Amino acid sequence: MKQYIVKRLGYSLLSLFLLSLTIFLFARLTGDPVVLLVEPGASQEDIDAIRTQFGLDRPLVVQYGNFLESLIRGDFGKSFYYRTPVLELYLSRLPNSLLLALAAMAFSLLIGIPTGILAAVRVNRWWDSAGKVFALLGLSLPSFWVGLLLILFFSVYLGWLPSSGSGTPLHVVMPAFALGWYFAAAHMRLTRSSMLEVLGSEYVKLARLKGLPEALVIAKHAFKNALIPVLTLAGINLVIMVNVAVVVETVFAWPGIGRLLYEGIAFRDFPIVQATVLLGGAMIVVVNLLVDILYAAIDPRIRYER
Amino acid sequence: MTERTRSLRILALALLLAWTGPVGIPGAGAAPEGQMTWGVHTSLAPTWFDPAETPGIITPFMVLYALHDAVVKPMPGKPIAPALAESWTVSPDALTYEFALRKGVKFHNGDPLTAEDVKFSFERYRGTAAKTLKERVAAVETPDPGRVRFRLKQPWPDFLTFYATATGAGWIVPRKYVEKVGDDGYKKHPIGAGPYKFVSFTPGVELVFEAFDQYWRKAPGVKRLVFKVIPDESTRLAALKRGEVDVVYSIRGALAEELRRTAGLTLKPTIIPAPFWIYFADQWDAKSPWHDKRVRLAANYAIDRTAINQAETLGFSKITWSIIPSSFDFYWQPPAYPHDPAKARQLLAEAGYPNGFDAGEYYCDVAYANLGEAAVHYLQAVGIRVKLRPLERAAFFKGFAEKKHRNLIQGASGAFGNAATRLEAFVVTGGTYVYGSYADLDGLFREQAAELDRKKREAVLNRIQQLVHEKAMFAHLWELAFLNGVGSRVEESGLGLIAGHAYSAPYEDVKLKGK
Repeated sequence: MKQYIVKRLGYSLLSLFLLSLTIFLFARLTGDPVVLLVEPGASQEDIDAIRTQFGLDRPLVVQYGNFLESLIRGDFGKSFYYRTPVLELYLSRLPNSLLLALAAMAFSLLIGIPTGILAAVRVNRWWDSAGKVFALLGLSLPSFWVGLLLILFFSVYLGWLPSSGSGTPLHVVMPAFALGWYFAAAHMRLTRSSMLEVLGSEYVKLARLKGLPEALVIAKHAFKNALIPVLTLAGINLVIMVNVAVVVETVFAWPGIGRLLYEGIAFRDFPIVQATVLLGGAMIVVVNLLVDILYAAIDPRIRYER
Repeated sequence: MTERTRSLRILALALLLAWTGPVGIPGAGAAPEGQMTWGVHTSLAPTWFDPAETPGIITPFMVLYALHDAVVKPMPGKPIAPALAESWTVSPDALTYEFALRKGVKFHNGDPLTAEDVKFSFERYRGTAAKTLKERVAAVETPDPGRVRFRLKQPWPDFLTFYATATGAGWIVPRKYVEKVGDDGYKKHPIGAGPYKFVSFTPGVELVFEAFDQYWRKAPGVKRLVFKVIPDESTRLAALKRGEVDVVYSIRGALAEELRRTAGLTLKPTIIPAPFWIYFADQWDAKSPWHDKRVRLAANYAIDRTAINQAETLGFSKITWSIIPSSFDFYWQPPAYPHDPAKARQLLAEAGYPNGFDAGEYYCDVAYANLGEAAVHYLQAVGIRVKLRPLERAAFFKGFAEKKHRNLIQGASGAFGNAATRLEAFVVTGGTYVYGSYADLDGLFREQAAELDRKKREAVLNRIQQLVHEKAMFAHLWELAFLNGVGSRVEESGLGLIAGHAYSAPYEDVKLKGK
C-alpha cells in the first residue's frame, strides 16, 4: 500500500510539473502583456521599461526557471495588473467560489436526484420524456444566456433579486442557479441510468418478490445503491464548479476564482493565469489521488495492478 | 425648589443638550450625505491608487481624481488648471518652471502638503513616460515649503503637457507616510490630498471612498463613493435599471439605445481623445495598389462615417478627419471627405482598377470589430475587396508594432499627449507604429522639436498635419464616444465636465438629487 501511494504521489507531482510547463508556455504563446498595460502610442522606452520590470525581457528558459523556483517556495508571483501577490488574490476569492459551488451543487442535487429517480421509476412515460427534454436543455443552454435571462426576469422585471455582486444570501441565488443548471441535468441523467440499472438488478427483483411495497423498494433498496455513482460524480463536479464558473461569475460580477481567471486572461496577466490554472489543476490532482488511495484501501486488487 | 420645577429644569437641560448636540460640530449642517455608486466596466487595480505607477492611459484617473490632487491638472474649462499650485512662472530661457503652492493644503492624515512632497512624488514617479521626464529634468528644487522649481536640461515646450496631463508625475503623495509604510503598504492604504479618503478595496471587485471635508477646493457633496466592477455590459445596464448603481460606464450599440429609451435613465456620452483610423500600411510599397494616392482617396470617399456613427454609438462619436484628438494642443482641423461612392469608383478607375481590386486584409482589435465590419462593408461596396481580420487586442497591437500586419490596419490610440506625441508614434520615422514615412514630414518634425516659440511650433505642427492629410496617409473613422448611463437619483454625474475625460470628475462636484 505504501509503495502504491508513493507511486501515485509521484504521478501526481509529474502531472503538476507538466501542467506548469504547459500553462507557462501557453500563456506566453497568447501574446505580449505589455501592449495591454500601455496605450498604443506609448514610446518604445516605456514599453521596454515595463518589460524589464516584469522580467519579460529575459529568455524563456530563465523565466520558467524563476517561475519554478518561486513555486517551490510557494510563491506564485505578483500580478502584473494588480501588483499584488497572486496567492493573496486567489485566497481572497476562493471562499466566494466555494460558496457559489456549494450552493450550485446543493441546487443541482436537489433538482437532479428527485427528477432522475422519477424518470427512472416512470421510465418511458411522460415524466421521463419531460426529464429528457430538461436534461437536454440543461446541457445545451449556455450559462451566460441563462444568467442574463435570470437577471432580466428576477431583477429587472420582478425586482426580487440583486442583479450582481456578492454579500447577502440573496446575491448567491441566481449565480448558483445559472451554474447549477448544467450540473442538475448531468446529475439527473446519471441518477436515472444508475436507478434503472439498480432497479433491474436481482436483489431489487427479490425484494419485490418478497412483497415489499414498491415505495420502500425504491427508497430503501434501489436509491441507496444508485446514489453512490451520483455522489462520486458530484464530488468531482464540485471541484470543477469551483474552477469553471468563469462565465457565470463574469455575468453576475461574482468575485470568485473564475472571474480572476477571466481577468488574468483579458489582461495577459501571466502570473494570475498560471496560478489559477495550476491551483485548479492541483485541486483535481489531489481529489483524484485521494479517490485512488481510497479505492485502493477498499479494494486490495487495485494495488497490485499496474 | 419643588419636585415639579426640578423635573422641568432637567427636561429643559436635556432638550438644550439635544439641540446643541449637532450644532457643536462645525459645518455639520453642510455635511455631505448619501452614497453614489458607479458600475465600472474595467477591473480596478491598486496601482491606480499610487500616482507613481500611473500608466499613460485615462482609466487610472477615474480613481486619481477622487483620492489625490495634482500640482496642475485638467479641470472643467481648462486643459491645464491650477490645483495644488496657485500659480506658476516660466523663466525667459524656458529652462525653469516655478510653482507657488497653495497654502494650508492637508493630506487625509492631517499632514501639511509641502514642496518636499512635490519633489518626492516627482522623483518617485516611475510610470509611463518616467524616462522621458527624468531625462529632461535636471533637478527639482524646494527653495521653501511653498515653492517648487523644476530645472530642465534643455528647453522642452511639452514639459507642462507631460507633467500635468500625460502622466501621474504631478499627482502628489505624502512623503512622510509613504516612507513609513513603504510602496506595498501605501497601495494597501493610500493617503492623498484629494476630495475623498480611501476606505476599503477588494482587488477587481469594489472600491469605497469617503468624503474629505477639508478638501481645499470645496467640501464634497456626496458622503460616500462606491465603485463596483461589473464586467458584463448587460448586467451593468440591469444594475442601473434597478437602481443598484447610479452611474454606469461604457454601454454600446443596441444596449445604449435601450438605455436611452428607459424612463428615468439618462444616456451621457463623453468624447474621449481616442480617434480610430485606417492605416494604409502598404503605401510605401511601389507594387501595392495602396501606393497610388487615388486609391487611398477612394477609400476615404467610400466610407459613410455618419451612418457608422449612428449605428454603433448613436451618432455621438465625433467625425474629425484626423488621427490626432481634436482636444489636443496643436491640433489642425483637416477638411472633410464626404461620403461619395461614385467619386470613389471614379478614382479607382483612374488608378487603373475600374472593377475594383482584391485589397487583402483589414486588421483590427476584436473589441472594435463592429467598427471594422462597417468600414469593410463600405470599402467592398466600391470594389475595394478587403477581408476583415479581427485579432485579440494584445495580438493585434503586437503585430501592429512589430510591423507584421499588411494592407489595412484599423489604428487607434487613447494615449495622452499633444499633436507632436501622436505624430511621433504614428507618422514619423522611428515611431512604434510607423511602417514608412516621408522625408518632408520627418524634416518638419525635427524642426519643431527644438522650437521654443509656441506660435512657430504650432505652424510647423499644423503643416505636418496638413501634409498627412494631403498625402492621404490615413482614412480617419471617428473619435470615439464613450456612452455612459446615469440613474434618476443623480443630479450631477460629473461626466463630461472635463473635456476629453471619459469618467466622472471632479468628484467634489458630483451631486445627488435633494442632497
